Amino acid sequence: MKKAILLESVSKKYEVGSSSLEVIKSLTFDVNENEFVCIVGPSGCGKTTLLRLVSGLEPPTSGRILIFGDPPDPRKQRFGVIFQEDSLLPWRTVIGNVKFGLELQGYKESEHEKIARTYIELVGLQGFENYYPHQISGGMKKRVAIARALAINPDLILMDEPFADLDAQTRSLMQRELLNIWSKLNKTVLFITHNVEEAVFLAQRVFVLTKRPSRVKQIINIDLPYPRARLSPPFISYRERILTAFHEELEGI
Amino acid sequence: MIPIKKQYRRLRSLLFALSSVIMFFIFWELIALYSPSPYVPDPYSVLKAFITMLTVGDIDGYTLTWHALVSLERVLLGFIVGAATGVPIGMLLGIKPTLKGAVTPIIEPLRFIPPIAWIPLSIVLLIGLWRYIFLIWIGVFFPVLLDTIAGVKRTSITLIQMAKTFGADNKKIIARVIFPSSLPEIMNGLRVGLGVGWMCIVAAEMIGGEPVGLGRLILKYANLLQIDVVIVGMITIGLIGLTLNYFILLLEKRLFKWRVEIRA
Ligand SMILES: Nc1ncnc2c1ncn2[C@@H]1O[C@H](COP(=O)(O)OP(=O)(O)OP(=O)(O)O)[C@@H](O)[C@H]1O
Ligand SMILES: [Mg+2]
Repeated sequence: MKKAILLESVSKKYEVGSSSLEVIKSLTFDVNENEFVCIVGPSGCGKTTLLRLVSGLEPPTSGRILIFGDPPDPRKQRFGVIFQEDSLLPWRTVIGNVKFGLELQGYKESEHEKIARTYIELVGLQGFENYYPHQISGGMKKRVAIARALAINPDLILMDEPFADLDAQTRSLMQRELLNIWSKLNKTVLFITHNVEEAVFLAQRVFVLTKRPSRVKQIINIDLPYPRARLSPPFISYRERILTAFHEELEGI
Repeated sequence: MIPIKKQYRRLRSLLFALSSVIMFFIFWELIALYSPSPYVPDPYSVLKAFITMLTVGDIDGYTLTWHALVSLERVLLGFIVGAATGVPIGMLLGIKPTLKGAVTPIIEPLRFIPPIAWIPLSIVLLIGLWRYIFLIWIGVFFPVLLDTIAGVKRTSITLIQMAKTFGADNKKIIARVIFPSSLPEIMNGLRVGLGVGWMCIVAAEMIGGEPVGLGRLILKYANLLQIDVVIVGMITIGLIGLTLNYFILLLEKRLFKWRVEIRA
C-alpha cells in the first residue's frame, strides 16, 4: 500500500539576506493511510515549515516528498489545511467561508449549500452561518477553518497547532470532537502541536522533532484505546517519555 | 428611545455647528463691508445671484442646473476612465513588485504635476470631450492607483496560502482573495479620486470652447468682474463635491459590513 505521506531525507534552507538558515535537515518519516500522527517539537524548529512542504506550498531544498505516491500538488490532491494563524476570509460569512474550498475544488454550485451546512453542524456552529468572522470567537473561527477543510473531503488533513489559542475546556472539547470526526470519516491526519498531553491524547504515533535544523528525534507508538483517560498510569507514562525527549531538546536552545 | 444624555449631546453639537455657520456669514459680511475693493459681494447679493442663475440663467441663457449637469457628466466620464485604468494597473503593480520598481521613477514625478499644467498639452494632443476626460483622469488616476497598490500589499499571506492549498490558481487567487481583500482601500481611492477629479473641473473647463460647465461659469463671470456669480459657482462645486463624497461613503458602509467593527 502507498504511504499517505512519505518524506525521504528532506531538507529546507531559507536564504535571508546573505546568510542561509537550515530549518529542516534530512528529515525522513512516513505516515500510513488513515493514521493519526502528531508532531511535537520546540518552538521555531520548523513545524510550520514542514507543513508548507507537505502541502506543496513550497518545494524542499533537497530530498523527496510523496503524497500517496505523487509529489505534493494542491491542484491534484485534496488537502485540508488548518493554519496556525487566522485564515478566514473576513469579508465572507461563516457559511461563505466554508463554501470557499468547495468553490475552488469545483464542486457543483447546487451542492455547496447542503455540504457547507453539514460540516457547520459537524463542528457545532449551526445558527452562526451568517455571522462574519469578526463577530465570532477565536475558537469558533478555528472550527470554521476545520469545517472548511473537511468539507472538501480531503485526502489529507494537516493541522498546525489548531487549538493553541483555546482555553483548556474548549481545547479538550475540540480534541474529542476531532477524534470523533476522524473515526467517523477515516482520514489521514498530520497534527502539529507543542502540547505533549494533546499529542498523547490524539495520536496513534507521535514524532518528536529535534531543535533546528530539525530531524526526527524519536517516534513513539501510543498503544492506548480511544477515548483515552488523561489520568490513567499508561497515559502519564507516555506523556513523561515524550516530555523527557522534548525537554532534552529545549535545554539545548 | 434615545437616552436624555445622548439627546443633549446631539443638541449641543447641532448648536455648535449652527453657530459656526452664523459666525462664518457674519465674518463674510464684515469682509464685504470693510474691504477697500468694490468687487467683494456680501452674502445677500450672492443669494440673489444664486436664485437668478437657477431660474433665469447666465448671460448665455444656461441655468445653474445645466452647468452643474454638464460638469458632472465630464467628471463622471473622467472618473470612469480613471477607475478603469487605476484599479487594474494598481492590482498589477501591487502583485508584481519588480514591475512596480520599474515604473516608479516615471509615476512618482508625474503625480506631482498639477492638472492645470497639462492644459496646453491636452489641447495639442486631444480633441473635444477627450480633453476634459484627460484632465479629470489626471486627478482621479493617482489616488486610485496608489490606494489599490496599498490594498494589494496589505493582503494577508496566510489567506493566499490558504487559497493555494485548496488548489486555487493565480487567477482565482487574484479574483477571490486579493481583490476582495483590497476592496476597502480601492473604494477609498475611488472616493478620494472622485473628489480630486471633481476639483479639477475648473482647470479642465479652462480649455474653453463651449460656454457651459461650472468651471466655465466661474471663468466667464470672473472676466466680467461679477464676483457674486463666481461665488455661486464655487459654492455649487463645493456642495456637489460634498454630496458625491457622502454617497460613496454610504456605499462603502453598505459594502463593508464585515468591517464595521474596525471602522467604529
Ligand atoms: N519564509 C521564511 N524565510 C526565512 N526564514 C523562515 C521562513 N519561514 C520560517 N523561517 C524560519 O524557520 C524557522 C522555523 O519556522 P517555523 O515557523 O517552521 O517554526 P515552528 O516550528 O512552526 O514554530 P512555532 O512552534 O513557534 O510555530 C524559524 O527560525 C523561522 O525564522
Ligand atoms: Mg508554527
